[in-house]
Amino acid sequence: MADAPAWATEARDEAAAAFEALPVLTGGEEEWRFTPPADLGMNGDGAAGGATTASIDLPATSGRAARLAFIDGAPAPAEVIDLPEGVIVAELGEALAAHEDLVRDRLYSLAGFDDRPGALNAASWDAGTFVYVPRGVEVTLPIEAVLAATGARGHVFGRTLVIVEEGAKATVIDRYLSPDLDGAVHASTVVEMFVADGGELEHVSYIGWGRGMRHQATIRAAAGKDARVRSVNVTLGGDVVRVEPTMYCRGTGSDARALGLYFATGSQHFEHRVVSRHEAPQAYSNLLYKGAIQDTAHTVFFGNLVVPPGAPGTDAYQTNRNLILNEGARADTIPFLEIETAEVKCSHAGAVGRVDDEHLFYLMSRGVPKLEAKHQIVYGFFQEVLDEISFDELRDELADAARAKVR
Amino acid sequence: MADPILKIEGLEVAVEDKPILKGVNLEVPQGEVHALMGPNGSGKSTLAYALAGHPRYDITGGSVFFDGKDLAEMEADERAQAGLFLAMQYPVEVPGVSVMNFLRSAVNATRGEEIPVREFAKLFKEKSALLQFDPSFADRYLNEGFSGGEKKRHEILQMALLEPKFAVLDETDSGLDVDALRTVSEGVNAQRGPDLGVLIITHYTRILNYIKPDVVHVMYEGRIAKTGGPELAEQLEAEGYVGFGSAEPAAAPR
Repeated sequence: MADAPAWATEARDEAAAAFEALPVLTGGEEEWRFTPPADLGMNGDGAAGGATTASIDLPATSGRAARLAFIDGAPAPAEVIDLPEGVIVAELGEALAAHEDLVRDRLYSLAGFDDRPGALNAASWDAGTFVYVPRGVEVTLPIEAVLAATGARGHVFGRTLVIVEEGAKATVIDRYLSPDLDGAVHASTVVEMFVADGGELEHVSYIGWGRGMRHQATIRAAAGKDARVRSVNVTLGGDVVRVEPTMYCRGTGSDARALGLYFATGSQHFEHRVVSRHEAPQAYSNLLYKGAIQDTAHTVFFGNLVVPPGAPGTDAYQTNRNLILNEGARADTIPFLEIETAEVKCSHAGAVGRVDDEHLFYLMSRGVPKLEAKHQIVYGFFQEVLDEISFDELRDELADAARAKVR
Repeated sequence: MADPILKIEGLEVAVEDKPILKGVNLEVPQGEVHALMGPNGSGKSTLAYALAGHPRYDITGGSVFFDGKDLAEMEADERAQAGLFLAMQYPVEVPGVSVMNFLRSAVNATRGEEIPVREFAKLFKEKSALLQFDPSFADRYLNEGFSGGEKKRHEILQMALLEPKFAVLDETDSGLDVDALRTVSEGVNAQRGPDLGVLIITHYTRILNYIKPDVVHVMYEGRIAKTGGPELAEQLEAEGYVGFGSAEPAAAPR
């Protein structure tokens, strides 16, 4: 960010100062009791180290409106393929100056420097994605950004800012990729999304890292009056991953859904902390996260529906279901509610179940081999979430990637 | 004479270390329909699950040969691929697995090759009509929201699609009204022939009025207590299982 405007440089300095001022995370904090912050590089201690550089092949995606790719978090210009008039897709560092009027008020306003993960990212990111869809414009094809890690840098950073104006519509994919790495590399990413009145946004975050990656991801979306936001997060890769999506229902009648699919295998450790905040009346939110856990992997889900006073007519749901594929795999689920308005409809549910032997036997008794039977059961379990992904080809790719982990 | 399609000798089966079958001897020549009757708890369903390879049913003694193969050495999927079919008494609901995907993968697995999509669609349509199985159920999840009768029709539909060499029908008549029983029985009768052996497991004689058995066996306390012709079923219809030490009737309750 060599040519960043003064306000951006100041914000960065402020973030760095905040990071220093904030207490070091020890793991003793309530919200950090499941995933040691040091494992995620949350104290700025850089890479766990020892990673050797490996080459990476970026996916040959087609049918995109625009693409961005950041190798090890280094800036690179956006590739614009097919964008309607007025839509902006740019590298975020460039957008600081080039689109200052759009970026300045929003950047850091949903995810600021008030906690260490936020301050670390704000102080450190070099490259990111900026998407702006003007009023009433619809981008039919997805805009996709890839953050790739090769092991050349011990800590990679990514940042995405999406603005969808009144009545506009877009789909944005953030994909996180690396080959299997010998050592450990930290990743820190933040996504901020603003959907104005009547706008629609589908965001898909696909965490497809190889071995060795440790990732803290913050995802925040604000929905205006009658806006629809759908945040889909798919976590399949990385050694230690913590994803924190928060949906802000800011406008009356807004509709915010956070959908998640995770599949932890080997010794992977995934934590998802998913929150919806109802800051306006008559809004709908639905958090639906489904996870499969195999081998000695461990997952944690913490969900919270927050309804402060003044949000009557809130309609909010939260569901987390976990499918344990073998003994030794573990899932914790903690559904939570903080409701301070009277006239609301809220429900929450968390469940952990094992693959049912009777289901397996039924399929096998028809000749379906055990692995194929498990594939069908796991796919069936995830389908409710996969169905929410609008793009068939992306849905199929994610389904295949999840299925490939079954053994 | 050719070897029987199913040959059970001195079979002992335990469930969670509790012995249920205590030396079953039973032979079914290919092409014949045998009925296995008996009061509740005599071990009929245990035999069905043990034949199909349910992992909870341990073969602790004796032997079962199916089409010359030792079943004890085979997993459930291998048994089905070899041509053994079990129509279950209580088919489970499997959420998320669609009927169509399931049926196609079952046909592919038992045939050992991919069936072309159009050929499968045609086969499915034809066999669904035979069993009066609502084809719109193809998009549903496996057995989810099916009535008792629909589940049984679906079981026999699978039998028709998979074309097994031998089928065990475990209490297929339970929970069926007369019309459904007739349809399901016609579905089975349509498949009857020299290349299909059938073992009908039933507590009541009712289904045997629709599917005529060649041989009737009575199981009691984990063993075959008596074997005879169709007249044995008629005798049980009249007398119940009293001659075997059980007060249960064999005529269906009205």
